[in-house]
Parts: sequence; C-alpha cells; structure tokens
Amino acid sequence: MTVLLQLLFQGVGIGAVYALVALGFVLIYRATNVVNFAQGQFAVVGAYGMVVTTADLGLPYWLGILITLAVMALFGALFNLGVYYPLRNRSFLPVVISTIGASIFITNIILGVYGPEPSMLAPMLDAPGISLGNLFLDAQYLTIIAVTLALVALQYLFFEHTLLGKRMQAVSQDKEMASLLGIKVGWMIMLTFIYSAMLGGIAGILVAPILFVSVGLGGQIALKAFAATIIGGFGDVPGAIVGGIAIGVIETFGAYYISVPYKDAFAFIVLFAFLLLRPSGLFGEKVSQKA
Amino acid sequence: MAARNRQSVRLGARFAALAALLAGLAAAPVRAEDLKLGMVVPVTGAAAESGRFAQWGAQLAAEEVNAAGGVLGRKLVLVTEDDQTSNPGGVAAFNRLASDASIVAFLGSIRSTQTQAMDPDVRRVAKPVFFGGTDPELTRSGDPWLFRCRPNDAYSAKVIAAFGVNELKLKKWAVVYSTDAFGSNGHKHLVEELKAAGAEVVTEQGYANQATDFTPVVLAIKGSPADVIGSYFTFEQDLGIFARQLRQLGVRTPWVGSPSIVATTALRLSGPALYGTYGIADFNADSSPEARAFADAYKAAHKAGADNFSSWTYDAVKLAARAINTAKSTDPQAVRAAILAIRGYKGVEGTYNFDANGDGLHGYNIVKNDNGKVVFIKHIEFAP
Repeated sequence: MTVLLQLLFQGVGIGAVYALVALGFVLIYRATNVVNFAQGQFAVVGAYGMVVTTADLGLPYWLGILITLAVMALFGALFNLGVYYPLRNRSFLPVVISTIGASIFITNIILGVYGPEPSMLAPMLDAPGISLGNLFLDAQYLTIIAVTLALVALQYLFFEHTLLGKRMQAVSQDKEMASLLGIKVGWMIMLTFIYSAMLGGIAGILVAPILFVSVGLGGQIALKAFAATIIGGFGDVPGAIVGGIAIGVIETFGAYYISVPYKDAFAFIVLFAFLLLRPSGLFGEKVSQKA
Repeated sequence: MAARNRQSVRLGARFAALAALLAGLAAAPVRAEDLKLGMVVPVTGAAAESGRFAQWGAQLAAEEVNAAGGVLGRKLVLVTEDDQTSNPGGVAAFNRLASDASIVAFLGSIRSTQTQAMDPDVRRVAKPVFFGGTDPELTRSGDPWLFRCRPNDAYSAKVIAAFGVNELKLKKWAVVYSTDAFGSNGHKHLVEELKAAGAEVVTEQGYANQATDFTPVVLAIKGSPADVIGSYFTFEQDLGIFARQLRQLGVRTPWVGSPSIVATTALRLSGPALYGTYGIADFNADSSPEARAFADAYKAAHKAGADNFSSWTYDAVKLAARAINTAKSTDPQAVRAAILAIRGYKGVEGTYNFDANGDGLHGYNIVKNDNGKVVFIKHIEFAP
C-alpha cells in the first residue's frame, strides 16, 4: 500500500509539471492554431532565471521568483513579436518551423552564455519533506502539486469570470467574429504568449530543484507534455491537465510494475493508442469542428 | 559600397565570434608543419560539461609535450570536433576529422556507446584511436586501431565485487545500471563477478539515460533484501537524482559505484546524498606522484578538480606523442607497433602496459566519499 501511494504521489508530482507545460501548448494553440515547439525552452529560461537571481545574485527566493516571472512575461512578448507575429498570416507550417528555430536558438544562446555545466537550484522550502510512516512526501513535489492546483483554479476563474478572460476565449474560438465585435485580436494573442511563457517559466522554476538546471531540461519535459496534450485532446484545457497527470502516473506505475528501462515508452504507447483509437483525445472536439 | 563591405565584415566577425563562443573553443591557428591529433569531444548535449574537462586535460598534455620539444621536432596541436553527445554525432565528427589526411592519430570518446558506433569507421580509416569507453568488448572485437586509456569494465566489475564481498563483507547485492552499452555491459560483468565471488544478486534495475524520476528503482531496492548497491551510472545528473531519492526514501545501505560516482559534477550535484559511498576510480589524485602533479597543474590552470574526464585525454596525448617519437615516424603501422610495445609507462591514470587487444591499464583505485572529499583507499591491479 505504501509503495502504491508513493508511486502515485511521485507520478502526480511529475505529471503536474507535464500538465503546466502542456497548458502552455494548449493556450497558444487555441489562440493561434499553431503548436509552439519552444514551450519546453520556456521552462529552461525560467529555471535559469532562478539560477541567475537566487544563486548568482544571491537575492531572496521570493524576489527571484517575481523577477523571473517578470522576465518570462517580457520574454513571452518578445517571442510573440519575433517568432509568431511576422508570420501570423502564413499557414501552419512556417510558424511551427519558426518556433522550432526559436527553440534551437534559445538553447544555444543559453549554452553559449551559461555554459554546459548543470546548475543547482535550492528547493522552494527548507524542509526536505514529510514522512508518513514509510511514505515520504518530497516538499518540492508537494509545492509542485499545490502550485499547479492553484494555477488551474485561478485560470478557471480568469477565463470564465472576467471580461478579459472571455475576450481571450472569444479570440480562440473565432478570430474574425471576435474582431468584428471590437476585440483587439492582436493584443489577446500577445497576452496569451505572455501568460504561456509565464506558465512555462513556473514549470521550470518548480522542476529545477529536482532535475537540476541544464539546457536539456526543456526537451525532457516538452515531449511528455506534448503527448499529454494529445491524450487530453489537443486544444482542451482540462484535457491538458488530466493528460499531463495521467502520463506522470502511467509512466511511474509502468516503470515499477513492468519495466524501468521502458519507462519513457509508456507515455508514447498510450499516445499511440489514443492516436489510433481516439485521435480527438479524452476531451477533444472533432478536428473538423475546430477547423 | 565601402560602408556596406565594412558592415558585412563586422557582421561576419560577429558570427565568427558567436560560432567560437558556441563551440566553446578558442582555436589556436594550425600551421601546415604542425603535427595534428584529432579529438572527438562533446561540446554540446548532455555530456558537454565533461567535454570541456576532456579538452582541458588534452590541452595540458599538449602544452607539456610542446614545452619538451614537441613530437618529431614538430609542434603538437589538437583539432577538435563536436560529437553532440550522440552516436551519430560521434561518427560524423570522427569522419570530418578523418577527412583531413594530415591528422596522425585520434582521441575518441569516453562513451562506450559512441566508440562502438565509430568502430567501423575507425577500421576503415586505419589510424590509431585512443579512447576512454570502458566496455570490455570494444577491444575484443578485432579492431587493431583502438587503444584504451582507462581500465575496462571487466576490471571495474572485478574490483567492485572483490571490494564489496571481501572487504565490506556484503553478500546481497542490488545492481543499478544504465541500459546503454556502457551500463549494460558493466551490469553483465558485475553480475558474473558477484556470482563468482559467492554473492547473491537480489535485484537488477536498469534505467534509460536522462531519467526524470527514480522512485520505481528505489522502491524496488527498498523492497528487496539487498544490503549493498553496486551501480553503473553513465550521466552524473541521473546519478544525482537517484542518490537524492534513495536517501529521501530512507535507503542507507552501503553503495559501491562505477567511476561516475566520484566525478566532479556528481559530487557537486549530489552533495551529502553521496557521503559515505564507495567508488572505483581510474583516476585519483593521491594514487601516484604523477597523478598528484597532474591534479595540481590542472587545478592551477582551471580552478577545478581533475577527474577521469581530463586524466584519460591527458594520458592519451602523452601516449600518442611518446609512441610517435619512439616510432620516429607517423606511419600508422609503425605508431601502432610503438603503442603496443609501451610497458611500465607511468601515466596519471595508472601504469600503462599495453596488451595485444590494445588495453593499456589493468587495475582500479578504490575510493570513499568522506563528507564530500574523495579519499584514496587502495589500488587493485590485475595481470594484463
């Protein structure tokens, strides 16, 4: 029983990180109809933001988080202006390639400036975690789960109960109609990029103390997050969260009960199954409706 | 027009500077009369940090060789190519270097899996390649051009088993290993050696590199009757994550690891989680006067502790220079014969006695992580 709970806790914890990155994928996809393949690198930028502010400059952790989030917001805006905006009237493919290019660019800039050494980031809380008998709840994983829950709740309130949130939803549903109703579509997309970059940054900040900080961090998470968005139903917000946590739990249990070396495969086996049997995902609408 | 030219020159210079920055190399100019050694090294990818250490070690050796008169009276220079920490990258890097006919010999990879990938091209190019991968099969597959500058894992497994069973008196083993070529061969040999030593392997846990979570592995060990862990980790980040989760979940059994457990990066990332563990180390600064001198020179130059990533490339450059000087020629066959004839050469990794397979070293040091400081315990040497 302890083993079961331990695996569940660990799976939900790492799944929450996948979910945060997956949310970033989904929000940008809904707003722009393109997949942002640099979403994983947003996490890397966020993680390095924390290393620079807390480890290098010695600032307090909370200040480091605030500065990093501000930097992520600016980064999201610049990313929109540099990577998406010039190509906004082009088809799907040029924009996707543009985001892949941006991802390679970001990776190498960080490598050039910060070097290849993995860096360390202290966990958010001083306490190592909570022991309940044989069960150990790592404080950082607890933080990850709590922050993810809080973000999901806030996001729900924002999109369903504020005018700005409803405008952003309107843009994601039908840009032309939204534009005719006087919604500034360009600004809504800008806000989406800013928010997605901050989400990615938060994922990076949260996972950095566990996986260490290196340029490889983004790729590890982004691939699973991408699988999570497809399992959840591409473009669906609750789907991204459920998909992310499902992948975390499935791979952790699969590793323990079936095979550790094939741990990474479980996420993709589930992905294949969904693509074959239910391409629209758990919560997804039919592709024809979206188009 | 002139202004535009100037501008494009400036732009070009910026790109060149950026390229040099990204490659992490301030390449010295190579002249035609210089004697060139090609070096395949990770500049990007998961092992990029160790690639920098490898270059520092090789550079230090090249400087010393040149200060002592060079090779055949010529200046020794290193030409590097990035292997991107991947097998295709390693093969491409080796072939790019090999297309330069004036390169006399090569430093290959410390990764067994990359060395295995490069092997067909090494045979085709037919020039000496020094390498650091420790999979025993690499020198047993009949490639006459591979020369190993680290003891292979047939020895590492023997030493882990001998130390754990005979000195620590522990008989119930959990074996944790990466499923790449290095880890799975280490695993195979360790299990054989443990059985031969009369110990019992109670759980065998493989994992794929760049893992994010080791909870399933740790729980399997915790649920087994193991009283000691033997490990073959390829990357220090994986080792760091495993070590922390192992301690968090309350596993305190002794642990004897392959050399990555005492690598500089592992010590930095893992901190207290590795205190009290044992490792086998091909390089240890206190194992010989030569190792001590190298560690001091390395520290003076780079403000960092030397480890096996830099020590094997240091030895490889020295061995290449020595063999070419002895052969009085850069003819590959003559250099090969000279390498195989090396006996009793005191390198920083140990004393080199090349056997017919191309294995230079035949023993390991046992060390202990004493509150973050790597302490030399003893050296175990086997007959070649």
